[in-house]
Amino acid sequence: MANKRTMTLNLTDAEMAALEALSTKKDLSKTAILRQALRLYQMVDTRIERGDKLFFEDEAKKDKAEVMVL
Amino acid sequence: MSAETIQLQMRADSTFVDASLLDGMSPPDLLVVEAEWLTERSLVMQELLRSAVPRSAWPQSIHWDWRRKAPELELLESSGFGIVIESRWQGVMLTKSASHFATLAPDKGKPLVYIDYLEVAPWNWRIPEIARAGRYRGIGPTLFWRAVRQSADEGFQGRVGLHSLPQAEAFYMKCGMTRLGPDPGKQNLTYYELSSKQGMSLLKQGEAP
Amino acid sequence: MTKITHGGPSEEWLQQASEIEDSCRSLSVGGMAVDLNMLPPPPGETHRVFGRLIEYARRKQGLSVEKLAEQAEVDLAEIVEIEMHDEVLPQVRTVYNLAQVLNLPSGRLLEVAGLASPRPEVSNAALKFAARSEPTAPLTPDEREALEEFVKVLVESSDGNPANA
Repeated sequence: MANKRTMTLNLTDAEMAALEALSTKKDLSKTAILRQALRLYQMVDTRIERGDKLFFEDEAKKDKAEVMVL
Repeated sequence: MSAETIQLQMRADSTFVDASLLDGMSPPDLLVVEAEWLTERSLVMQELLRSAVPRSAWPQSIHWDWRRKAPELELLESSGFGIVIESRWQGVMLTKSASHFATLAPDKGKPLVYIDYLEVAPWNWRIPEIARAGRYRGIGPTLFWRAVRQSADEGFQGRVGLHSLPQAEAFYMKCGMTRLGPDPGKQNLTYYELSSKQGMSLLKQGEAP
Repeated sequence: MTKITHGGPSEEWLQQASEIEDSCRSLSVGGMAVDLNMLPPPPGETHRVFGRLIEYARRKQGLSVEKLAEQAEVDLAEIVEIEMHDEVLPQVRTVYNLAQVLNLPSGRLLEVAGLASPRPEVSNAALKFAARSEPTAPLTPDEREALEEFVKVLVESSDGNPANA
């Protein structure tokens, strides 16, 4: 494992509640959830910069909406 | 990059040799991998053609090119693992740890380690039709085991997913993975998943005494 | 390298897994094969319907195998081989000539033949066609419809003149 550094994070109650809910739902520590979020954000950002597009597709409604990122 | 020392077997005389199991490969490492493997790939291809081996018996990863995968390793969610013996790459695996989620109950929707690519060096391929026995044994299984351990280290409790090439399906099935069928989004390759229960039991069996 | 530790799977597990490894041709994972567009993809579903597609298209035009071979300037044995056996990977020239005679888009036909990576709509259409066609039965109205739907996708997914696509 790579070296790790510590930082303090200030979250509002709503943000903390969302983090805790995700942590329960995904069965991960809060740190792990934030790490996953950063990985996903970086991946999406890199792919969009490469020219890819991000879509949400609703199979039932045959709906496809482009998600605006950045 | 960090390394752990493991033991692997030479097929020729069944003796064990020291090998390094590395994690944290960087994009330039993949360029070295392909530089080492490229000539052997084309040798194998020539032998297959000369012996008129039907295409169905060709190794299905024969034309891969790891250089093309180098940019993937720039991403935080991508990890590269490899096995080195006598300064040569013997097998390589790329995994992703954020964008793939379990589909098996009861962990549906929870993250897993997804094996993006896994291949062993061409001189380790066993192709009876052209009398190739393969130099080292256990390279592929060790890399697969490493992915399960990464999943445990990440807090994903041993959950692993992958799309297997047809020739490799029997291995992943026998390793305890659940076959979830062909995936039209991935060239119809068959998707396999290791549940946390299966993963943790595999790691327990795999614990060094 | 920053850290050296000793680890790896246990010897028993590795022995067990290596025995399974020995019974498989490969342990490779991932779709790089098709992603890279470098060599023909391994014979898959698409490739398996190529022979049937040629056979149907030939019969639809009322051509005998001999006649098709003659018009496409392809060896009779090669056409028989293509129609009868799934394992054969045809020559590029053969596919191109067959496309001309049977009025099919040659670019898409190369994909069906397994000589180029099929785009998703082509492999989907090929799968549907495979599911609806019987290799030996005469061309029933349903099979004719299956063939026509398949050809429609091939033509629509290529731009312009079928023979030049």
